[in-house]
Amino acid sequence: MKEAVREKLSYLKQSLFHPFDAFYEIRFRGRGSVVLAALLLALFGILQCVSYQYTGFVINENEVESMNSLSIFLTWVLGLLLFIVSNWSVTTLLNGKGGMGDILKVVSYSLVPFICALLFQVVVSNFIILEEAMIVYVVTGIGTVWTLFMLLAGLCVIHEYGFGKNLIAIVLTFVAAAIIMFLGILIFTLIEQMVFFVISVGQEFFRRL
Amino acid sequence: MGRFLRDGSLKEKSLRDRNLRDTSLRKGLKRALKISLSLAAALGMALAPATAQASDGTSYVYDGYTYDYYGNAKESPAMFRLERTITAADAGGIAMSGVDDVCTSEDGRIFAIDTAESRMNVFGPDGGFLYSTKLVRTQDNKIALAEDGSQIMLTAPEGIFIHEKNREIYIADTGNQRIVVLDLDNYGLVRIIGEPEELAGVTQFKPSKLAVDFADRIYVVVQSSYEGILELTKDGAFSGYYGVNTPRVSLADYFWKSLASDQQKEKMTKTYAPSFNNITLDGEGFVMAVTYDLSAEDMVFRLNSKGKNVLREEGNTLVKGDIWSMNSDDPGSQFVDIAVTDYGTYALLDKNKGRIFLYNFDGELLNAFGAMGNLKGEFKNPTSLAWLGDKLVISDTMLGCIYILAPTAFGQAVLEGNESYYFGRWDEALGSFRKALDLNANYEAAYSGIGKNYLMKDEYETAMYYFKMGNNRTFYSKAYNGYRALWMEDHFLIIMLLFVLLVAAVVGSEIRYHKQSKEKQKAAMKRLNSRRGRAVE
Repeated sequence: MKEAVREKLSYLKQSLFHPFDAFYEIRFRGRGSVVLAALLLALFGILQCVSYQYTGFVINENEVESMNSLSIFLTWVLGLLLFIVSNWSVTTLLNGKGGMGDILKVVSYSLVPFICALLFQVVVSNFIILEEAMIVYVVTGIGTVWTLFMLLAGLCVIHEYGFGKNLIAIVLTFVAAAIIMFLGILIFTLIEQMVFFVISVGQEFFRRL
Repeated sequence: MGRFLRDGSLKEKSLRDRNLRDTSLRKGLKRALKISLSLAAALGMALAPATAQASDGTSYVYDGYTYDYYGNAKESPAMFRLERTITAADAGGIAMSGVDDVCTSEDGRIFAIDTAESRMNVFGPDGGFLYSTKLVRTQDNKIALAEDGSQIMLTAPEGIFIHEKNREIYIADTGNQRIVVLDLDNYGLVRIIGEPEELAGVTQFKPSKLAVDFADRIYVVVQSSYEGILELTKDGAFSGYYGVNTPRVSLADYFWKSLASDQQKEKMTKTYAPSFNNITLDGEGFVMAVTYDLSAEDMVFRLNSKGKNVLREEGNTLVKGDIWSMNSDDPGSQFVDIAVTDYGTYALLDKNKGRIFLYNFDGELLNAFGAMGNLKGEFKNPTSLAWLGDKLVISDTMLGCIYILAPTAFGQAVLEGNESYYFGRWDEALGSFRKALDLNANYEAAYSGIGKNYLMKDEYETAMYYFKMGNNRTFYSKAYNGYRALWMEDHFLIIMLLFVLLVAAVVGSEIRYHKQSKEKQKAAMKRLNSRRGRAVE
């Protein structure tokens, strides 16, 4: 058990510095872990809430008094899940080799630099003045770029895509996400109308009884 | 922390104040109903209990708001109350059909320009009628004649300016395309400035609003002129156009313009620089101007000698009045006039919603209040405003009246606080801002003000607390810088120790690593040697 965890973590570490090799191992030799990926995703959502509230006052421009941690958490996590689902639906049509689990692993693993940058931001921003805010911004920037690079590399590897096709797939992913959101809203409104109809019929019935 | 707790009770206190006010209002209502002065009054009371007048005559139409750091409108108690209304009835039997510009002199006289009746009316500080003129007279009270022998009559004048230095009144006699200069004391004619001969450009000389600076230069605003403010020399000769008003360029326009050929471009509507609509001078002699042209990028200007806008906008919002609009065809605040105090606090008059916006020197919104409507103190078509000491004088041309607004206790505290801060009297400013906070705990400008004063006294921790309350990140950072430096000094030993430990740990691990790798190397060599030895054997 301990060995297995250590192995998973070691591949997580490798994916940071050698994303192509590591994601190859994860995809084709089963070295990744869905549980670890899910944990990372949850950690990311929680850290977003934490950074919203606890980033130092100097650079924190959020309205902390009216913060809704649940909505922040869900926005980030559901947003990423939506990306995963729509990426999967696009790549299945475009000969992508990766399954849903693989995409989840790639997305979550590549969040690690961003998570580290967020942690850095939360801690350090409490001890800086406005002139030093650049340090935090640079670190967050590096984290973002790193994350994006890992994401691109990982998606290339698991789908066995070239760089160009990967970019096209990602653009289409956003289109698919928009369609999914549209359908979701449509279903919600339709269900709402249906429920309302049933309720009003019921009310009518009981009032006339 | 004890200090902070004490200040935390500020909020409770102001809540209590508000409750008190509410109960007193309710009491007032009850009394009004009991006495039932008239059915109409009771009806009006019942219909609009919150915004109408209480039975004691107190008007709540000037209850205002400010914006917090996040752009939320925060309610604020009234900074001004209606002290007096000057109407045609006060004009000593002289017809007064509108007031298009007001101006005050230092001795407290109020000068009002009536465009429709072509008159200048003068009132005393208490609102009493002093003088009115249409036909200009000479210093010894004879009828003044122009060079061609005609009588000098004002024709649809639009603007007036009091030049205290030379004790002169400048009237923009728009209909006659000239500026009439009168004496401030006996209202006699001093001189007439006609259209300058060497006037360049396409602007017609139709002076509408004007201002005269310390060096007697005359700045003239011509409505709908896109060339800027006309600058005249002391003698009325043309010296140039002054001030740039840049139009807002939309990305779509830019895109289509870049595609169009020269011929197409000629046919497109030209974007002209927006005109200035009103002008005044601040305490330091800078020209301040406003525009309500919708295509203008800036609405308020503080022009330096080169004509560049150097208005300070360090507050929570930009100096543009209302920052939200309720619907797409709401053009936002449209400023018709600006009035500046000696300490840089200025009031802007919005003709769109009948609001007055008060900003301090730094561009922090102090209060926004006023409304269009039919209640006493509300506006129909506000045209002009001026400071009369701490009081505001506001004219409305459709109502044909002048309101004199006196500051309330809250307004007094805010104005005094800003004045003391501007002149560097820290302790006084602190007291005034505290008073303002007692009356309005939502007031970020006052929290910032208190913080700034503590910062000046190097009390960093307290300053930080107030800057946090006031959501002022720039100054919080300044205070924190001082606080951190002090903390580092106090805890120098611990920091140094931690640093040394860290260095030791790094060096130690490096040495250990080096040793280990050396041993590994030795072992490897040994193995190699032994294998080689075996091979030799």
